[in-house]
Amino acid sequence: MILKLNHLKVKAAATTQGVIEAVYALVEGGQIDQGQFARLQVELDWIQYKSNFREAVIATQGYNAFGQPAPIMDIHVDTRQVVPATLRADLLRAIHYAQAGEEENACRLPLEEFQSLRSSIVWKFNRFFWRHLLAWEAATGQGYDKALPGGSSDGHNPLAIAEDVAEFLDLLCALRSKNQLPVEVNLLEIGVGNGSRCAQWLDQFHELDQQRGTGLYPHVCFYMGDYSEDTLNKARLTVAKHIDHCRFVQVDAINPIKSLAHLRHKILQVHLTNVYDNLPDEEVVRRDGKLYFVQVRAYVPTAAVNSIGGKYGIRPELFRDRVHNMLETGFDSFGGAQHGVPFWQELWAAMRLEERLVQLEDLPEFPFPDGLDAGRLEDILHDAPTDFRFHLSSGALESFIHTLPLLHPRGYMQVFDIFVTDLAQYRTGFFGPGKLDGSLLNWVNGALLKEVAQREGYDVHFRPFKYRANTHTSILYTTRRE
Amino acid sequence: MTLPILPTAIVGSYAMPGWLERLKTDYFARRISRHDLDEIYDAAVKAAIKDQETAGLDVITDGELRRDNMVDYFAERLPGVQIDRTSKKFYYDFYDSAVVGKLPMASMGLVQDFTFLNTFTDRVPKFCVTGPHCLTKRIRNQFYPSEEAFATDIARVMNMELKALVKAGATVIQIDEPYYSGFPEDLAWGVNVINTLVEGVDARIAVHICYGNRYGKPSWEGSYRYLFPTILKAKVQQLTLEFARRGGEDLDLFKEFNAPFELGLGVIDVKNTDIETPDMVAQHIRKALEVMPAERIHILTDCGCFHLPRDVTFAKMKAMVEGAKIVRKELGK
Repeated sequence: MILKLNHLKVKAAATTQGVIEAVYALVEGGQIDQGQFARLQVELDWIQYKSNFREAVIATQGYNAFGQPAPIMDIHVDTRQVVPATLRADLLRAIHYAQAGEEENACRLPLEEFQSLRSSIVWKFNRFFWRHLLAWEAATGQGYDKALPGGSSDGHNPLAIAEDVAEFLDLLCALRSKNQLPVEVNLLEIGVGNGSRCAQWLDQFHELDQQRGTGLYPHVCFYMGDYSEDTLNKARLTVAKHIDHCRFVQVDAINPIKSLAHLRHKILQVHLTNVYDNLPDEEVVRRDGKLYFVQVRAYVPTAAVNSIGGKYGIRPELFRDRVHNMLETGFDSFGGAQHGVPFWQELWAAMRLEERLVQLEDLPEFPFPDGLDAGRLEDILHDAPTDFRFHLSSGALESFIHTLPLLHPRGYMQVFDIFVTDLAQYRTGFFGPGKLDGSLLNWVNGALLKEVAQREGYDVHFRPFKYRANTHTSILYTTRRE
Repeated sequence: MTLPILPTAIVGSYAMPGWLERLKTDYFARRISRHDLDEIYDAAVKAAIKDQETAGLDVITDGELRRDNMVDYFAERLPGVQIDRTSKKFYYDFYDSAVVGKLPMASMGLVQDFTFLNTFTDRVPKFCVTGPHCLTKRIRNQFYPSEEAFATDIARVMNMELKALVKAGATVIQIDEPYYSGFPEDLAWGVNVINTLVEGVDARIAVHICYGNRYGKPSWEGSYRYLFPTILKAKVQQLTLEFARRGGEDLDLFKEFNAPFELGLGVIDVKNTDIETPDMVAQHIRKALEVMPAERIHILTDCGCFHLPRDVTFAKMKAMVEGAKIVRKELGK
């Protein structure tokens, strides 16, 4: 057995001892055989965020490419949730569930089949959240950004904006000195929220431009991109003062160039805040020289099905259909948002993900996200840890790759988000997915983005977000490679 | 060998196959030998020649598939340039290279690669060399008092090499100077260097000036106006410029300055995988005909096709050939 301790703070020592004792007891009791024990990997972690998709103990069974159980199993213990008194029972139950595979389980109501996280129903919930954001906010009585660490978006930080504005103005002046300033100075923000960052940015730029007498404000054309028309309409009001300098574009965050092809190589600054951590993702595990794909299945514990169903008059056998119906049609079947939103909130809180590992036999045929293929992945993994679990960050990677071609040769792209900046970090912690209010949250594999971008001709640097203390946010900064 | 009117060619490089990229990188990782790599290059170059011929191009290059990038192939061959061979991880990266003393006059060994090309095509072969200005921007100068002095000495060494190419049968030589667009302030001495480079070289000389194509993306943006009138002093026959991606506005400069050169007209955007139609190509050519007679126009890609997929490159070349045919027909040629 390999024991990994990723968190040495609260309860770690006691939990470690408890886990070892419990595993030995299970070996002695015959619930774990010697072969399994030898290959068992137990990982203790402090699972972030507090609201997530994991039970206190989960076990992940490995399968070969033909669907037969492989002799690997990972056990994950959340030291934040775990209770010593029930540890042994939790372990036993987790192992039992993992070995049961797709069999019906009386304690869980699956909402889907095992599949890639990227195509899981949890992302339908995520889209549902953004589509019904106003209803959620009305029910909670606060804006979604209040759920963010710090209570507001880091993108709105005035100091960060001021530094960026100054840097951008310097860039424009440098271009002008070489007669290379474009007639239109294009900027793009993807995921504009309420438009507050854009408004602040334009205010500060206008002011600094006047102070310095550079006369560049009239050239500015700020593209505000979001997939939600409602959001763009809201943002339009916020930037009213600068409306002649703003363009509003419905943009698919996964493929921005699709709707902005006319701006290829013409945008001098692209900005995103907390967009990548909310895009569909999937995970891969490297164990003993083999790659395994993490498949997930969303479920609701039967106890929650009974309690939530009882409260909203939904019989257990109809529960799954009502969930799917809500995601498809909204709250009509609940008589409106007044009753539907509380159901949604309780359901979301109760929802969990179970996992299994499926060996990637034919790597070149794997449906990699755009920007990645088997050869590149092998190159990237060449210097990576031998046994670890990492994000493919599929949505973020595709978004990144399909945004870079928009950059002007002297332009830059900045992304404020939660990044894993070195693959070795994956050996020392859990990085999602978690729940943030009604949406999904995942750390982004910045190291992977960096490697892929380098092959595409871009340099990627990560800077700490120095404008707020104790933040996990960092800034990915990209420019064309010389 | 007589060329048709509006002859077609790629600027230099052909699509780099993914398998060749991996094998090149394998070579740097010491997983395959130099001998094996050279055989692989031979096969890849033959395939690139065949593709160009099948697409119907009139002037053929070796696809520059032996080159890691437009600098290192020459930096490795320039006598006196020191190279840190541990300095690159991926084949396409640039070596860390430096010049620490006066460049000696010695062969760069380009003739061998030209001869290979000439052996495997019966059409007009074109050999492309990276110009001294570009090389000085990438090879660290630790000896010469100025970039101009360094570039001038590179030109002297390369002049001898160009003469050797002509002796081996080269009739069309292209000099690539993409960095002019990034450093327009260098142009005056850059043109002097070009004139040193081509002095006494008895071939049709083209200078290719674009806005960069590193990783298939532009490095700069702007207008070709910066070239004029300084470029008129260049003792070359052809200016090869990119117009497909950037539009044809700058074509008027040829008229405005009564430029004596042939025009290498870029009609294929190599920074975009969308495949042009023959009609789009024809439209570009017609626009150029407004400022210059057909006899002085060559039909080309905007830049090298190094970063495009092979199937896309092939389709673009075919569109270029068909587009040229449309206009030839219109002209009754």
